Amino acid sequence: MKYGSTKEFIYEELLSRVEKPGRYIGTEWNSIHKDPESAGIRFAFCFPDVYEVGMSHLGMKILYHLLNDQEDIFCERIFAPWPDMEEEMRKNGIRLFGLESRDYIDKFDFVGFTLQYEMSYTNIVNMLDLAGIPIRSSERNDGHPFVVAGGPCAYNPEPLHGIVDFFMLGEGEELLPEVMEQYRKWKKAKGSREEFLEAVSGIRGVYVPSFYDVEYNEDNTLKSFKPNRDGIPQKVRKRVIKNLKNAYFPDKIIVPFIDIVHDRIMLEIFRGCTRGCRFCQAGMIYRPVREREVDELIEIATRLIESSGYEEISLSSLSTSDFSKLNELVEKLVSKYESKKIGLSFPSLRIDSFSLKMIQEVQKIRKSGLTFAPEAGTQRLRDVINKGVDEQDLMNSVGAAFETGYSNLKLYFMIGLPTETMEDIQGIADLTFKVVNRYFEVPKEKRGKGLNVTASASSFVPKPFTPFQWEPQDNIETLIEKQRYLQKAIKKKQITFNWHEPYISFMEAVFARGDRRSCDVLIKAWELGCKFDGWDQYFKFDTWMKAFAETGIDPEFYALRRRELDELLPWDHIDVGVTKKYLRSEYKKAQKGELTRDCRVACTGCGINLLEEGGVCK
Amino acid sequence: MMNVRLKFTKGNEVKYISHLDLMRTFQRAIRRTDIPVAYSAGFNPHQEISFGAPLSLGVVSNAEYIDIKLAEDMDIKELQRRLNGSMPAGISITGGAVLPEHAKSAMAIVTHARYNIRLIVEGIDKQRLDKAIEDFLKQEQINVMKEQPKKEFKLKEIDIKPMIITMDNIDSKGDEYFLECLLQSGSKANLKPELLVVAFKDYTGYNIKGVRIVREELYAEKDGKLLDLLEYEKR
Repeated sequence: MKYGSTKEFIYEELLSRVEKPGRYIGTEWNSIHKDPESAGIRFAFCFPDVYEVGMSHLGMKILYHLLNDQEDIFCERIFAPWPDMEEEMRKNGIRLFGLESRDYIDKFDFVGFTLQYEMSYTNIVNMLDLAGIPIRSSERNDGHPFVVAGGPCAYNPEPLHGIVDFFMLGEGEELLPEVMEQYRKWKKAKGSREEFLEAVSGIRGVYVPSFYDVEYNEDNTLKSFKPNRDGIPQKVRKRVIKNLKNAYFPDKIIVPFIDIVHDRIMLEIFRGCTRGCRFCQAGMIYRPVREREVDELIEIATRLIESSGYEEISLSSLSTSDFSKLNELVEKLVSKYESKKIGLSFPSLRIDSFSLKMIQEVQKIRKSGLTFAPEAGTQRLRDVINKGVDEQDLMNSVGAAFETGYSNLKLYFMIGLPTETMEDIQGIADLTFKVVNRYFEVPKEKRGKGLNVTASASSFVPKPFTPFQWEPQDNIETLIEKQRYLQKAIKKKQITFNWHEPYISFMEAVFARGDRRSCDVLIKAWELGCKFDGWDQYFKFDTWMKAFAETGIDPEFYALRRRELDELLPWDHIDVGVTKKYLRSEYKKAQKGELTRDCRVACTGCGINLLEEGGVCK
Repeated sequence: MMNVRLKFTKGNEVKYISHLDLMRTFQRAIRRTDIPVAYSAGFNPHQEISFGAPLSLGVVSNAEYIDIKLAEDMDIKELQRRLNGSMPAGISITGGAVLPEHAKSAMAIVTHARYNIRLIVEGIDKQRLDKAIEDFLKQEQINVMKEQPKKEFKLKEIDIKPMIITMDNIDSKGDEYFLECLLQSGSKANLKPELLVVAFKDYTGYNIKGVRIVREELYAEKDGKLLDLLEYEKR
């Protein structure tokens, strides 16, 4: 069969052969289609995971429209093709293409990756290869796009230092347009690749890894990390939008045809978190807290509902019940949209501030599940991680939920937290049983039928820019032992127990705190066939171990080693606002089980207020 | 309260979206256009809409039907106009009718479907194909293995001959041949055109490539006559 063009071949032949072809159509409602010929800048916005995951990501939705709102920029979406599609592409000599135009991306101006998860790194390598773009920055030349990256994992950019030309740290709404403006100037002046990198390195938030040199000590720790030319900042400071009032938010969002993970409007009500849980990277790197105003949120919601037709709004943030005007917002949204049957959901509710009244309000429209995150099984350990809730908080909340008719609850826990003993593990089982018992205390006629409590235990992964960044992870054997213990201890008809694959958690720990040398392992692992590592069915631990052996790198050095407090860390040249001094003091308090209060009450001196002139916290 | 039936196309641009995806696409288009659709009662209210016969992934259609229950009366031309302004490329409302009060759903009345099937076969000609079709249909039984989705996709042999009403080669262009087939479709007996192609391929041994199927019309039988689903409700 002959086709008029490669694009037609992709659509008619390839898509007819693969699973879920809806992933690759590109004509979803509100997708942007421009004339490629007249676009001055072509931007390939790449999400290194499958469509359903990538399309659920709020940041991509915002930046896609932000870029396309500029007339001369044509930004398209690219997701990691599922292995069946990749096989068809490689077999037929088809390279990675933008979903909107179906043009190959190797001639685009930018190929940008959003880094949400360490285990998607091999997909980045694979996507570059599939695009026909050299994997290493050093092998790219004038005809190639600039490969850029941002997102939370970019705060430790080192494992990707040899692949990404430059990183953009922090919030992109202002930074990305500044980079684009610099690009226009550079293109006009017909400069060299190096000249562009030099120009953007002057923009705050941009990190060009090739402009820095690293030296190591004999024990493999870092000796020095220095700029290798003049005019390059010693430390790269992250970008934040000082005030969310009138900060960019698109009027429309793409409405996928196929079912995705989070298929609803995500209304971002605030950024940052003041709680200061010591294991939580998001709680540190997204500081400061900035709320949107209720009236503006209602306006945004109205525009998005009208333009998307979605039936559900999720009030998203790191800790939704901490929003200072949550009741007002919920009441207004419910009264406005009740008749239109538009439901509200809350992705993150805290145990202590759970409001029964509010849940009842929301339930009038649609009933959704409830999730609570005690994180640890004993009060001692909850104090170590500064969770700031106690058992009574949890019992009050689940009691209220059961009395309203809920019979389906999820509880999130972590295993392998610093200082954890088997007593704490037993505590997880005990607490889950107490929740089950609380259900039976509710009179039969009042409670919902068919109790199901899901207890999930993920394995703790120490992350950069948290008070636990110096801590070792539990080794795999210990994690498995703890999981087995829990599995036995928690056996009960009404309880479903879930856990995470400990081998994947180990790999996460390696790359979360990896240095430049881990980049070679990454490329080697991909060469040996690793990709989609976050997916159990594709994760190949043995292959990874082979990659470590062949590159002579010890994974345990990264995952299982306790760092000295004065050690130079691979991410110390990045300034997220929260100071190392603060993290150290929090680490010491954790070891003593001392709590740090919520900084909405009074400043705890994390340093973020000094990030911008004039301060950023209220 | 008012019940309407709309006829629409599912074009090449949306042929890869499933029946469930199509349903969501309509639900969201209805919300975008603020059409006064009726909602079911209960904890998870849903729009009172239903579709004619599901279409396989990859099949294009010129005649899909959706029944919508409206909470308030509305001009049907206006309804069409609004929906057409809010549909992704490939979906276009081409007609509509207000249904009588106790009309049966589109899904319940469908009995037949007419398809246009394009095949690419090298090394034959029109005459040979006509003869092959004739011989194919002359068989006493046309047995083919069918997947049973409700039984873990176990294969079962079925005789599809009674479900083929007509099958004709109506046009050709080089190696491309266009068949028009009227098949039973609906809850009583249902023959998917893809299965017919498999049976025909097995019988002839042709190396059939480039199969492209278009559903041309859905019918409901009334007094021995086949009427399309809008005509069916006309008095």
